Order: sequence, then C-alpha cells, then structure tokens
Amino acid sequence: MTQMAFNSFLVVMLAVPVVTLISRQWTKARALPAVLLMGSLGVGIAVAAAGFWRGQRFTVDVAQVASFSFALSVDRLSAFFLLLICSVSLPVILFSSSYIPRHYAGARRHWLWVLLPLFLLSMVLVVTASTPFAFLFGWELMTLFSAGLILIDGDSEQRRHNIFIYLLMMHAGAAAVIGAFLLFLPHASNFAQMRASATLMPPPLRTAVFLLAFAGFGTKAGIVPLHLWLPRAHPIAPSPVSALMSGVMLKTAVYGLVRFAFNFLGGGPSWWGYLVLLAGGVSGLLGVLYAIGEHDLKRLLAYHSVENIGIIYLGLGAALVFTANHAPVRAALALTAALLHCLNHAIFKSLLFLGAGAISDAAHTLDLEELGGLQKRMPLTGTMFLIACCSIVGLPLFNGFVSEWLTFRSFLAASEMTNLSAAIVLPLAAGVLALIGGLAAACFAKVYGVAFLGRPRSREAGSANEVSLPMQAGMGALATACVVIGIFPGLVLRSLGTLTEELLPGALLPPAATSLSSVLPWIALFVLVLVAGIAAFKRAKSLTATWACGLPGLDDRMQYTSTAFSKPLRKVFSQVYKADRTLEVVPGDPPYFPASISYRSVRTTSFEKFLYRPSVDAIVTVALRLRQLQTGNIQIYLLYIFAALIALLMFMRWA
Amino acid sequence: MGMGLFETAAAKALASSGVFLFMTVLLIAAAKRISTCIALFSVQSLIITAQIIAVSRMHHSAEGFVIAGLVLTVKVVAIPYVLYRIVEELKVPRDVLSSTSSSQSVFIAAGLILLSFFAVRPYAAVLGGDQAMLAAAVALVLTGGLLMVSRKKALMQVIGLLVLDNGIFLAALSTTFGMPLVIEIGIVFDLLMGVFLMGLFVFRIRDTFDHLDVSKLRRLRG
Amino acid sequence: MTLAMNAVQVLLLVLLAPLVHGVISRLKARIQNRRGASVWRPYADLLKLFRKEDLVPASASFVFRLAPIVLFAATLVVAAFVPLLYGSALLGATGDFVLLVYLLALARFFLMLGAMDGGSSFGGMGASREALVSTLAEAPFLLALMSVAIVARTASIAGMVQWTMGQNFFQFSAVHALAFVALVLVAIAETGRIPVDNPTTHLELTMIHEAMVLEYSGPSLALIEWASAIKLTVVMTLLIALFVPWGMASSLSAVAIAIASIVLLLKMAALVLALAVVESSVAKLRMYLVPDFLGVASALAILAVVFTALMR
Repeated sequence: MTQMAFNSFLVVMLAVPVVTLISRQWTKARALPAVLLMGSLGVGIAVAAAGFWRGQRFTVDVAQVASFSFALSVDRLSAFFLLLICSVSLPVILFSSSYIPRHYAGARRHWLWVLLPLFLLSMVLVVTASTPFAFLFGWELMTLFSAGLILIDGDSEQRRHNIFIYLLMMHAGAAAVIGAFLLFLPHASNFAQMRASATLMPPPLRTAVFLLAFAGFGTKAGIVPLHLWLPRAHPIAPSPVSALMSGVMLKTAVYGLVRFAFNFLGGGPSWWGYLVLLAGGVSGLLGVLYAIGEHDLKRLLAYHSVENIGIIYLGLGAALVFTANHAPVRAALALTAALLHCLNHAIFKSLLFLGAGAISDAAHTLDLEELGGLQKRMPLTGTMFLIACCSIVGLPLFNGFVSEWLTFRSFLAASEMTNLSAAIVLPLAAGVLALIGGLAAACFAKVYGVAFLGRPRSREAGSANEVSLPMQAGMGALATACVVIGIFPGLVLRSLGTLTEELLPGALLPPAATSLSSVLPWIALFVLVLVAGIAAFKRAKSLTATWACGLPGLDDRMQYTSTAFSKPLRKVFSQVYKADRTLEVVPGDPPYFPASISYRSVRTTSFEKFLYRPSVDAIVTVALRLRQLQTGNIQIYLLYIFAALIALLMFMRWA
Repeated sequence: MGMGLFETAAAKALASSGVFLFMTVLLIAAAKRISTCIALFSVQSLIITAQIIAVSRMHHSAEGFVIAGLVLTVKVVAIPYVLYRIVEELKVPRDVLSSTSSSQSVFIAAGLILLSFFAVRPYAAVLGGDQAMLAAAVALVLTGGLLMVSRKKALMQVIGLLVLDNGIFLAALSTTFGMPLVIEIGIVFDLLMGVFLMGLFVFRIRDTFDHLDVSKLRRLRG
Repeated sequence: MTLAMNAVQVLLLVLLAPLVHGVISRLKARIQNRRGASVWRPYADLLKLFRKEDLVPASASFVFRLAPIVLFAATLVVAAFVPLLYGSALLGATGDFVLLVYLLALARFFLMLGAMDGGSSFGGMGASREALVSTLAEAPFLLALMSVAIVARTASIAGMVQWTMGQNFFQFSAVHALAFVALVLVAIAETGRIPVDNPTTHLELTMIHEAMVLEYSGPSLALIEWASAIKLTVVMTLLIALFVPWGMASSLSAVAIAIASIVLLLKMAALVLALAVVESSVAKLRMYLVPDFLGVASALAILAVVFTALMR
C-alpha cells in the first residue's frame, strides 16, 4: 500500500509542472500548482515517516521495464533524508503560494511553478537513488534546476557572473563524485553491492574513493575552502528557493558523504576522521566570522549555512574517528548528533530565509542598516524569526541546542579512549564548537536586534505591514517544529538511534543521549509557569520616550547599526577580515576644511586573494601555453596523428 | 599523630609541587610587571628549596641541607632583594615591555609545557614518579628562554637567565641527586656576581640611552 | 526528603543572593575607608523597585518586558544545578555542565535583545560589548568544566562534586589547579566584576552590563538586579562546590547540615573577602585588553583539557 503511495508521490510531483503549463491561461486555477505540490509533499511525508519510524522499504526499478540502470530504493537513511526534504519543503511551498504571486508575474511565475517541483524531485531522486546513474542524474539536475530558479529572478551581468561561478564549482564537485563512483564500477553496479566490493578494494583505492567523495560532496556542502559559491548563489535566489537551497540541498551533500563513508566504505583509518574534523572546525569558525561582518541579511544567512555545515562535519569527523578506534557506541552518538543537526538546521535555516523573504516583502530591503522596529509592525513574523534565531544559536528549549548538546557529549565521550590523540583532539574540538556557538549568539543578537528591535531606520521599515496568512502559516509550521523538537527531542532521537544502529555495525545509542529528553520538558514547564506567573503579576506600565540624556528627541539614526555592533568582534579577529581601506581627502581652499572625504572599505575574503586568484591565473597561463599546439597547419595535425600511431606501436612492442 | 598528619600533608604537597611550578611558569609568562616576575622567581626558588630538603631527608645527606640553605639565602632572599632595589632606583616604567601580548605568551608557555611533557615521555620507565618534576625542569628552562627572547627590558634578560638556571638545577636534582657541593656553590656565586654586574650595567644603559629597551640597542653592527 | 533539601538549597541561594551583594559592597566600602551602606540595602532596593511601575519606551516591543523575565527564569533554573549543603541539587543529577553554560547563554542573549529594544545608543553599545566578552568567555568556561568532568568521569554537576569529595585534599591535581584559575578568570568576566566590568560605575562609556539596563525601571529592573545577584552567588557556590566541597553534609541529619552551613559560610566569607580586596586594588581593564585576559583563561583551560589525557 505504501509502495503505491510512494509511486503516486513521484508521479504527482512530475505532474505538477505539466499541470502548470496546461493551466497557464486559466486565472481560476492560479492556486492549483501550489495545492497539488503541497498534496504530493504531504504524501511524501507520510511515506518517509513510514520508512523512518517503522522501517519499511520501497523500491522503484526501471530495469523491470527497460534495461536501464535506474532504480530508487528507500532504506532508513534515505527515508530520514526524504522526510527532511518533504517536511521542510511543505511549509516553504505554503509560503511561496502567497509570496510568488506577489513578486512575480506572468511567464516568470509559471516558470517558477514548473521548476520548483522538478527541483524538489531531483533532490528526492538523489536521496533515494540506488544506482550510480540515478544518483548522478539527480545530482546534476539539482544544480541545473536551482540555477534556473536563480535565473528567473533576473539576469543582470553581476547575477550571471555569480551563477556561472555556481555552475562551475558544482560541476567540479560533480566530477569528483563521478570519479568516486567510477572507482567502484567494474565490481558493483548498484548501492547494495558497493558495500561488499569495498571490502575487497586495496587501502589506497579506498582512500582515493574517500578523498574524491570528500572533495565532491564538500564542494556541494560548502565547506571551507570550497565555499566560494555559497554566499554568491544563495542571496540572489528568490527567498523560498534560498530556503530550499540552504536548508535542503546542502543536506543532500551530507547524505552523500554519510552513504560513502559509513555505508559503502564502512569507516576507515582515523586520519579520515581528523580531516573531516579539521574541515568542520575551520568551516564553522570562518563561516560565522564572515557572517558577523555582513549586513546584507541573505549573505549573512548564507555564511551561517557554511558554519552549520561545519558543525555537522564536526560530528561526522568524530564518528569516523570513533569507528576507526573500534568504539561503535560513541560513533553512534556522534553520528546521531550530526544527523539530528541536519534536520534541525534544515528547519531553522528555512525559517530564517522565509523570514528574510517576509522582511523583503514588507520593507522592500534586506540591508540591516535600513531596518529596525519590525517586531512592533510584524508581530507574528518577528516572533517566529526570534524562535529561529534562538534555535540557530543553540539556546536550550529550542531544537538547535539538542544537536549541539549531543555533539558536546560525543566529544566528552572521547576522553575515555585509550588512543591519546583522540582523547586530546576531540575534547579540544568541543572548545572550538563552544567558540562557534558564542560567535553565532553575538551575530544573531545583532541580526534580530538591529532588524526587529528598536526604532525603524528608514521609511520603508517604518511602513512595513504584517505579511499574508499563508506566509505566516508556512513560517509558523517551521517555528512549531523548532520548539517541539527542542522540548521533546525523544520523538526523533529514538528512531535516529535505530538508524545509526543500522549504519554502524555493533552500535547502540548510549542511554546518556536520551537523558536530555527527561529533563528538558520539566525545565520548559518551569520556565513557562514562571514567565506566565511573573507576566500576570506585573500589570502597571506606562509609556515614555527613550532616555536621551535630557535632550529633545532621539533621531532614529542614533541607534547602534549592524556594522557598529560587530566592530569589537571584527577588531579582535582582525586577521580574518583583511580589508582594503582607502581614504581620500580632497583639500579645500583653506586646507583645514576638506572639500570632500571619501572612504572605501572592500573586504575580499582571503580565499579569493590567496587561493582562487592564483590558481585561476596558473590555469590560464598553462592554457595559453598549450595554445601553441594549435598551429592551424593541417600537416602538423597529420603529424600529431601519425606520431600517436608510432608511439602506440612502440608501446605495444616494448611494454 | 599530629606530626604524622603534617608529614603526610607535606609529602603529598611535595609530590604535587610539579603542579605549582607549572602555575608559576604560566603566571610568569602572563605577568605584566617586573616586580611580579621577581616575586614569581622567588616562589619558584622556594619550591625548589623544599624539594631539596625532601630529597635530602630521603637520602639522609647533610650536604643537601647545606645546598638548601644556600639556595634559600641566595635565590629566595638575596637576589630578589637586589633586583627589587634596582627596579626602585631605576625609576623607569615598570612594565615588562613584551613583544607578544599576555595571552599569546601564555599560549606559548602552555605549548612549551606540553612540549616538555612529550620530550620527557621516553624516560617514563626510568623516572617513575619523578616524571612531572623533570618535565617541570625542562619547562622552566624553556620558559627562561622565552622570557629572554620576548621581553625587551634589559632587566628581564637577567630574570630569564635566573629562571633558566632554576630549571637546570631542578633537572639535575630530579635525575641524579643534584650536583656536587663545590659545583653548586660555584654556580650560585656566579649567579650572584652576574646579578650585581647586570645591576651596574643597567644604570649605565639607562643613563646613556634614557631607556632600557634592548631592541633599540643595535648600534653594535658592522 | 532529598527533594525537600534540594528545594531548600535553591530557595537559600535565591533569597540570600542580595545579601551577598550587600556584604561585598560593605566590605569594599570599609577597605576604601568609607562607612558603606547597610548589608540589607539590596533588599530595600528590590522592595522599592517592585512597588514602582514599569516605564516602557513607546517604540519598544514585547521583547523589552519579556527579556528580564526570561533572564530571571533562566538564572533561577541554573541555581537549581549547584549543590550547596548536601551533595545533590534539584537538577544536579540530570543537568550537566553543557546545559548550565547554555542556560546562562540564554539569559544573556535575552538581556542583549532587551537592551537593543530600548532604542538608545547605550543599549546597543552595552549589547555589543557584552557580545564580545561573552563570546570569548564561553569557550574557556566550557573547556574548564569539561576538564573537571573528564577527570570525574561524569558530566553532571552533582556527580563532579561527589567525586571531588571522595578525593584527598592534599593531592593537588594539575587539572584542577588549572581549571580553577581558568574558571576564576571566566567567573570575573561572566559576572561582570572588576577587572572586566565595573558594576558600580556611572560613566556610560565604561559600562558593559549597566549600559544594557539603562532603560529599565520598576519591577523589570528589580528582576534584572536580582538575577545578576543570583548569578554571582551561583558562580561563587559553583567554584566552591567543584573545587573545595569538603565539609558538605553526606547525610540528612540536622548536625551534618548545621556543620555544612557553617563551613559554607566560612568559604563564602573567604571568597567574598578576596573579591572585595581584588575589586578595591585592581584597575578595570581597557575594553580591548579584555580579549587578552580571556585569552589567558582559554590557554589555561586548553592546557587543563590536554592534561586530563596526559596525567592519566
């Protein structure tokens, strides 16, 4: 029965673009694509829930109809990620059902409703594929459809440049992933066989597979130094698409790495884990440090995605180190932490991007320096954005805390190991995670404080109005999920435990992991009672003006700006933000009063200056040298061919 | 009974004196004033004196008590007193003038402590319980070097040398049973002489250049 | 019975926190050759503030009034973590040190938001500086507590206290010494005392915590003041419980509890005296030297964690 549901889910998703194209002209059927898509996503959630909570399996195999190596199979890991995709996309589509008609008209709207379900379907394909061909098919389609969705928003010169970089890096990553699959190819043709064939591979080959998978999936996930495309591509997409890209698409890369490292290769030497740990720590720190320096809301959120992927990689690295040291119980703890953070990040990052969409809808700007006082004008949106901020910072009673707590506990568990380097490095990684958490708190205090609190800094912010009901409902669903998982984490943890037990042989989720779920509801109840009690007590209040040292009237510009808020932190970490500052003073007639002063500060990340520019220049130089082979003389070309023939003959004779 | 409690307390405290020495290493790296460094050096010498007494009691050697008395008078009382007087008379700013910030110095000192631990590890079987003591000795030597290299006030070079000598002395104490009495006396008087000479020179430098910053004393080039 | 004892411990902490504040102020005054206000003055202040009405800026949202309540609630929950007289606490067994650190972070986050909702420059300035200090203090806080947890092989606060009680007093452990110094430095930063922040300053440009509460009045201000007193007391009792817990009652008899109370009073008196002396003799650090100060704490905490593996 559920197999039929799965099949129908795929069919309806495919049908939505068709329906959109057909019903283009009927104004009555405006809402049809959205409703249809939400319906199919609902079915998808039910299917994935059956797969994740009850362990049912589904397969769709094209080989039954045509001799094509294209098959889908949903096991527990795929079901978890399918659940992630569908349950996060549903509120996003609900949001878009009202957002898209307000911002896009005519052909652009139709193209959005054509490409969105195809984009979602390609992600579903990636996480449910069971043959390399199906996986790579979905992988490439993900990139193409998301690029198409970005292009719908406009195609100026700057945007096309950013989309080009996005496509380029995604293809480079895909090449690495293809390479990783190719190394399996003579022996295994679908995922079920890869585990067995990996045990027969010699260690250098396994290392090559791991490194290729790490590089390929890392490019997609956005770890430093392969993160360059993230802050260029995510901000220029329409807000719901940014939510999907940041919240869901990055997780498919994590899925790929988990499949390769744990399912196919079954773990490896501990230096793999240290590599992933290093990548995670550096990405986490640099991501949040770059985010602190931003004041464009979407770029800031994009950098935070880099940071959270770093946190996920910290958990994955710990799990790999534990597996290498034959500690499956601790590995289960670390892997559960990483997977739970995938789910949590998908939920609260999508909520943050939807909130950004709501802000741009209401105030028509995403520059933090122009916002302010939005909480009073958009109370519901503001409250839900606050919930998302609390979740991403990892404060208790919200979902981000649970996965960070689990990661901390897995680092603590490392201290009991006999391997000295693991017992030292992993607890120190907890310090890095604490620093990342502290920086994230500072950054989001800035974001929420500057955008929603205080007084409006511009006329648009002052005239913002609450957004429409579907948009609120979409955000509300995600916010509720944040709070529910934050207070009752046991709902998800138990099934995640079963999932990790399947992935890692001999693993068992330690009881310490669930101790949190016994104490959090009590704390939540206590805090709720206390807050309600005190709020009921304090009645008398009277409104005044903000204290301005006795001077009349405070200008709205006399508040802290986002740049000012982050200045102390940027000054302390100044090694990271090497800005090029130019100050030009044009002296006036008496030289003490300048005619004009201009100050310009440009921040290019060090990676662009020291890694990308030189490598691009080197490749271009080599390419120019190789151009000399292209002489244009036909006899030289014939000479090339005959030279190759002679070389082949010699090779066959003497090799 | 009371004596027994005191004995056990003293024995345990001495066994963990390595911990105290590490604390002095970190604090001397974080110190911002010359007088703090002098006080910490005095504390270090006091701990080492206690260690000498403990070892002498164990081996029942009278020589050890003589050395302990010597170290007490010279390193804990005399040299710090002389240095304090010099600092008072000099009337230059009393900060340490370091080329690295306080927290960077502490990080470097922490790294040096870890390095000394790892360097001493191969000899763990031979040393047994004294491993921490030898590691502390190596850490003191390295910290003395750190002070001499990174602190720009001329007086800090002397203090660095004194700390370094403390480390060498402690190393000799923990591996063999200290050096022969004659050599000990010789080293201690050498140090005393060195401090007096430094005292004289420091006044000359201050009078000629009006500062004590050794990084600016580079005229001695070809 | 244990439950009642734990509840009593929490109540003691909460109700006696303003007294600790009062004693510190009085001691400081005496050291500085002044007479000083009565030690019961903070109670009078709280009563006065609770009877007044809240003055709320017209442009502020609900976050302005919510922030002090959340701050107080979170600090209250943290007070339930620390054993005072008996080796257990209300949340001592199930609450671990990560939850403690992050509950304090929750309190601080909402205080920063409340400050920004006031709409004045001072609120933003206080929040920005508090962001700097708390960001850099969180890592050494967690690492120092983690090193103690690793040695005690348990993550719950009550477990760590009970492990330390079972140790010999004279056996100094390098890990505990380093963690203690690191935690003292972090405690100064977290509770906003000299040399990181001056809690009695009137000059706005030198304020960190005071700048955040400049807009508050009436019951909201009372809650904030009380919460900061509770936080100071909790941090002090945490230091005592983790590092010198000997003297705590091991059974629930009246004699043991009485002895434990006297011992606790003596330890708190020693800490309060040390705090008052330090505050009267050391100058407040310039703000950009505070990262240096916390860097020393970080180095000590990292060294403590590494030593847990080396000294096994």
